[in-house]
Amino acid sequence: MRFCFYLFLLPFLFCFFSCVNLKTVSDFSATSLVSVNNFEQIDYTFLDHCIDRCEDEAIKKFEFQRALACSCDVYVEADSVTQVMFQAIGGYFDGLGNLAQNELTTYSTDAVVNSLTAKELGPLQIDENLAGAYSAVSNVMLRATTDLYRRRKIAAYIGEANEPMQVLLSSWQVIIRTNLKGELRIKKERLYAYYMDMKMNSTLQSDYEKGSAAGDYYRALRDIQRKEKQMDLFAEGLGEIAKGHQVLYENRNKLSVKNLAVTMLGYSGQVKVLVSEFNKLNQ
Amino acid sequence: MANLTSEQANRLSDDFFYLSMAIADFRYAHWEALTLEENKELSEMQGALLRCGEDILAFSTTLVMDEVAESLSKISSITEEIRGSVKTLSAIQKGLNTAAAFLILGVAIVNRDTAGIGNSIKDLFETWKGPLT
Repeated sequence: MRFCFYLFLLPFLFCFFSCVNLKTVSDFSATSLVSVNNFEQIDYTFLDHCIDRCEDEAIKKFEFQRALACSCDVYVEADSVTQVMFQAIGGYFDGLGNLAQNELTTYSTDAVVNSLTAKELGPLQIDENLAGAYSAVSNVMLRATTDLYRRRKIAAYIGEANEPMQVLLSSWQVIIRTNLKGELRIKKERLYAYYMDMKMNSTLQSDYEKGSAAGDYYRALRDIQRKEKQMDLFAEGLGEIAKGHQVLYENRNKLSVKNLAVTMLGYSGQVKVLVSEFNKLNQ
Repeated sequence: MANLTSEQANRLSDDFFYLSMAIADFRYAHWEALTLEENKELSEMQGALLRCGEDILAFSTTLVMDEVAESLSKISSITEEIRGSVKTLSAIQKGLNTAAAFLILGVAIVNRDTAGIGNSIKDLFETWKGPLT
């Protein structure tokens, strides 16, 4: 009798532990996805930079064209690289999150129970309570089996994906932090040269003109610095995601360790803080 | 000759940037001593160096694509597999609903209920053909 009791409890225990572990993966994927999606909120692209440069040069030369002709092919190509990174990394976390979410294996057996208890069944009719009990047990068994399947699959996917993910996240981080932000550094230098030339040439006469020019310069500088901050926060988020994924990878075969959930909470928390700071910049 | 890597390209861009900055500082420090012509020439050089620096940064980004091509292809194929697994698990609910529809059809056949058989076949067909939930 006691053996039967433990046997009955087994699927419940199994399901409980599976759910806890999958939730860790699910939460981390969801947070990572939010952070990755912030890429679309960054207020600057390589193409924007090319067009800005074109305009800045026309302004400096006091040049007027009916339509500004800019050669930006290499900048468009650079943007397409960042788009590919965004799609690949975002797609992975979206898929992993879907696979890890518990709703995926929450099945409804209502249709089967209703069929079993249908009046039309005549002499074959099964008691409603009994059908409900069978349904509950079969649901738990089904859940336990599919959760085991999911856990195995998730561990395998994390194992396969870690190395390329580390490469992609690190490359994307460099592109944002060094290349795109580097374009802003050059934009700042061009801006500085524009106003310094104006000052040295004594183009501006009145105090009002001089004050206005200085105000324009610092406003433009502040706008660039805001964009730089956005890029820094986004890139830092990518770094935290990479670290979190590495921890998942190292523990992929012992996902039941409770400490893992606590450790992952730290990474998810850090990414959430960065997302929140990023969002504040956009307000 | 070996191809340029994105890291080398970034270092080159840095060199162009700092050179342009040095020219700017030199111009402003010796503004009075420079002739108009010299100043103009240096200013153009300063601008050209900045342009080179920013073009190299964009070019360096395109070089990254070649460097991560293998990783990108791996992640894309893993993502496809994950989606396949999600689809498999979603299909279980459809299987349960189909089983229920079959059961109703069986009952209708046992009861020789011709109208019920027709409706059940229709329901079964719709359940089977319907989207994954």
